[in-house]
Amino acid sequence: MDISNLFEDVGLPTPVRRVNILDASDDVLRSVSERLSIGLSVDEMRRVRDYFGTEGREPNDIELEALGQAWSEHCCYKSSRYFMKKAFLDLHQDHFLIKGEDAGVVEFDDDHVYVVGLESHNHPSAIGPYGGAATGVGGIIRDVLCMGAQPVAVVDPLFFGPLDLAYERVPEGVNHPKFIFNGVVAGIGDYGNRIGIPTVAGMVNFHPGYTGNPLVNVGCLGFGKKVNMIHSRVGGVNEIYILAGGRTGRDGIHGVTFASTDLSADSEEKDRGSVQLGDPITKEPLIHSCLEMNEKGLLGGMKDLGGGGLSCVSGEMALAGGFGAVIHLDRVPLKEPGLAPWEIWVSESQERMMVSVRPENVDEVLHIFRKWDVEANVIGKVVEGKRIKVFWGEEVILDLDLDFFTAGPQYCRTYISKVVDREVRDVPFPVPDRSGLEAALLGLLGSANICSRERVFRTYDHEVRGRTVIKPAVGRPFTPGPSDAAVIKPLEGSDRGLAITADVNPFFCELDPYRGTLSAMEESVRNLVSVGARPHSVTDCLNFGNPEKPDRLGDFEEACRAIGDFARFFGLPIVSGNVSLYNESDIGKVPPTPTIMMVGLVDDIKLVTTSDLKTGGSILYLLGRTHHEMGGSAYYQEVGAACSCVPDVDMHLSRRMMEVVLDLDKSGLLQSVHDLSEGGLGVAISEMCIGGHMGAELNIGLIKDGSSSGGGSPLRCDIKLFSESNSRYVVEVQPQDAARVEDELSRYEVPHIKLGTSGGANLKITEGEKVLVDIPVDILDHVWRNKLTWLLEGSK
Amino acid sequence: MRSDEVKVCILRMEGTNCEQETFDAFKRLGASPEFVHLKQLEGRDTLAGEGRLLKDFHILMFPGGFSAGDYIRAGAIFAARMKAVLGRDLVAFIEEGKAIGGFCNGFQIMVELGILPAFDCTMAEHPQAVLHANDSGRFECRPTVLKHVNAGKCVWTSRSNKGELRHIPCAHAEGKFMLPHESQEKEDALYQRLFDEDRVVFQFSDPIGDTEAPYPFNPNGSRFNIAGITNDTGTVFGMMPHPERVFFRHTHPDWYRRRIGPEEGDGRAIFWSVLDHIERKF
Repeated sequence: MDISNLFEDVGLPTPVRRVNILDASDDVLRSVSERLSIGLSVDEMRRVRDYFGTEGREPNDIELEALGQAWSEHCCYKSSRYFMKKAFLDLHQDHFLIKGEDAGVVEFDDDHVYVVGLESHNHPSAIGPYGGAATGVGGIIRDVLCMGAQPVAVVDPLFFGPLDLAYERVPEGVNHPKFIFNGVVAGIGDYGNRIGIPTVAGMVNFHPGYTGNPLVNVGCLGFGKKVNMIHSRVGGVNEIYILAGGRTGRDGIHGVTFASTDLSADSEEKDRGSVQLGDPITKEPLIHSCLEMNEKGLLGGMKDLGGGGLSCVSGEMALAGGFGAVIHLDRVPLKEPGLAPWEIWVSESQERMMVSVRPENVDEVLHIFRKWDVEANVIGKVVEGKRIKVFWGEEVILDLDLDFFTAGPQYCRTYISKVVDREVRDVPFPVPDRSGLEAALLGLLGSANICSRERVFRTYDHEVRGRTVIKPAVGRPFTPGPSDAAVIKPLEGSDRGLAITADVNPFFCELDPYRGTLSAMEESVRNLVSVGARPHSVTDCLNFGNPEKPDRLGDFEEACRAIGDFARFFGLPIVSGNVSLYNESDIGKVPPTPTIMMVGLVDDIKLVTTSDLKTGGSILYLLGRTHHEMGGSAYYQEVGAACSCVPDVDMHLSRRMMEVVLDLDKSGLLQSVHDLSEGGLGVAISEMCIGGHMGAELNIGLIKDGSSSGGGSPLRCDIKLFSESNSRYVVEVQPQDAARVEDELSRYEVPHIKLGTSGGANLKITEGEKVLVDIPVDILDHVWRNKLTWLLEGSK
Repeated sequence: MRSDEVKVCILRMEGTNCEQETFDAFKRLGASPEFVHLKQLEGRDTLAGEGRLLKDFHILMFPGGFSAGDYIRAGAIFAARMKAVLGRDLVAFIEEGKAIGGFCNGFQIMVELGILPAFDCTMAEHPQAVLHANDSGRFECRPTVLKHVNAGKCVWTSRSNKGELRHIPCAHAEGKFMLPHESQEKEDALYQRLFDEDRVVFQFSDPIGDTEAPYPFNPNGSRFNIAGITNDTGTVFGMMPHPERVFFRHTHPDWYRRRIGPEEGDGRAIFWSVLDHIERKF
């Protein structure tokens, strides 16, 4: 439809067009939305038309653009909020201090807080992996910074298609997973390393479902004094808006609307301009200067420019403070001349921060920015009334009611929950003999999803700031094993620590979104408990498909419910989060991926535990119940078997497990602790051996089916070895402490089995007299440690 | 001089980012460190009271990081800016016997400045060495073992015995120390000179002290596993690894494997040594 005649230049020295929609039909409204690429539906466009009807005038293009950004899924959570509200947004704990802003603020001790945020940068990373991932790190760091906290750690859960995907099977318009992987890892490293914030934890997962749409989630942990926390809102009328940091350019135009639609084969061509460009060397002094002026009490409010750019920040900050704002758009410094006002208004160029400052403090604030060579300009001020007005010279080019502008629509779209068959109905296959089991164990250790991540985390500086107490690798320095969670000691003169982990198993979530999400929550708890930390807060990043398709939304609803159920049971607040929908491409949706980031408190970092075996002759126990629930398990993938029963979570047992392990840990009775996850007992014990460079001899004969229906009946030996049942740990105990440990375990009514002892050069696993596995640790180590490099470099 | 009278200039510009832990290390030992932005020494964009003079300090520290992004060559921009305005002050500072140290990017800056290795001068006009890209082609954040091989010239390691092994981690993409190669003979002679003049301070080694150990023990491929050197006076010292990250034992990579032992980390002696030197001399 030709709608050119609706656009009318208003005759300013800069391109601003009036868009005549007051009399427009639905068809015309749809065309206008498409023409401007603002992603508003016909319903939404009607609301816009009616609003301007009551204002008695036609809108300008900049006003429609502003509404398109503000009402995008990314900015207003229009499809997702209903479900989150129902499931967990009401969860509260007293230690959760500031909610609903750019990042969650949680109490650390009487005087200090930690701040957490987690975000996705999925679509930009699909098209420009390096820039997309780098600016993802930059964005989440600004979110934490704008609460007044020093960023102290970055966490990056990443999800890609298989690295060994044959080139002819890569769909049109899609980059090869290896290309995306390399770009993303380099982007995170180059950016995180340059700004001097350690990347301490994360995950890398490979699943065919991410081939068309990788997921790049980035989390940040900040730390600060309670008194220095600042809100993302203006402090009062007449405050001056100062825009600081990077200049504004054409990069990142329509980033949020791009994030709120499916990817397609022509995305690379069409949406290039939506990908922002990062500049860590502008960011680093921006961090210093913002923290300095905040500490001096010079700021009324602070907010970073992320999705929606100036448009979102100027309005939201003013409205949150109960005021309106006037912005002089012609005073915004540009990267290149010739940007139209609407482009300046919605550009998502990076490294920008908005501060609002009382007039008497403006000079000092500008001086501090200048001292750090950070460009800063006065661009507007806070006024009475709840309207936002944008000027170009003397002309008003945007004039909107803030309540209307920021109140995006909320939907409860139709959803269909997945019907899950949880009855165990796997097709029986013969129990492998010793050589089959050994091959399976080596296959698992050398599988893409289990092998060492050393190749990745060695390229990230994980100990800058000198406060990383538990790093991504633990055990002997030159042959370490994996760590369950990172621990940092944020405060000089205090031995209190923060533990941090991120987890989700997309293979579980794909089969059973509810149990899969519960498992992600439980695994996060286990990871924290394994290092001796008590879980304290949850942050989520919910990556799902197109919410306009009922089955995708059904997955989302299940995941929200699981998060709510688990968090409520454990008394954990959900302190911040992010929703990323429309993770679909021409080859389908991504597996439901509710990434969970959990932070735990360590009372005394001197008492932390790690997964590497410490001494020969220790006794090894398996804690928890093992079930025949192999759906989504790494073992069934390895042997090509199928099952739809994903591991369940017994929350009562889970909590008792947590309490007893933390208790034993505090008493110094556990030499090492490792939780069981992908690959089950076989992989967990191998990793403990690798980290400790030491063998072990186990008898798994005593493991019985832990389910009530199983009633202690025998399990197949391969299920015992590789089941991924939740709420299980292996612990290492000195012989002289064994009696005390067993008493404690019984007192907590925690099922436990003495597996055997540490020592020797081999991992030997028997079932009674029968040898199941007997492999030198050096061989386990070799396969596990090098697989990712082989995959990337194409050797072996 | 008392330790609290020792004034340490922790110099920074955009992209410097190990300054806090470097500051903390000196502070914990009772010295008086101060963060100083390069512009405060240059006297640019400073208000009354914000300017600083290099000569008022006893120790100048170049912390690690990515000054100016390391986009041209690691440390090159910091060094060029510094040399343009403060070159003479720097020479005077060294010639007074005051101490200069740099870790990682700091070391790279010092080499770019020409104050290391500084053969036959205090500050060379052009760099006399280079810290080249790691052989692996990647950023390498990993544990490294350093053998202290200095016989006594370097004032930054006086509290460490010759032959001692120290676990001090590294994190860099450009750390391969290289001397000019006009000919093999000339290059060899230069290395020989470094050793003969007791200017090599640390060599990468494996856990049992073999200083010919390859990657990953030598994370960057530097010849003779050189990890840190000093100038002719022993007061100017640079190293690629990060001693400020192991001030305490609980940031060592495997500290939890032995529950007992001192709280002191392997990096502390370096800060302690240079403070000793200044306290005695001034």
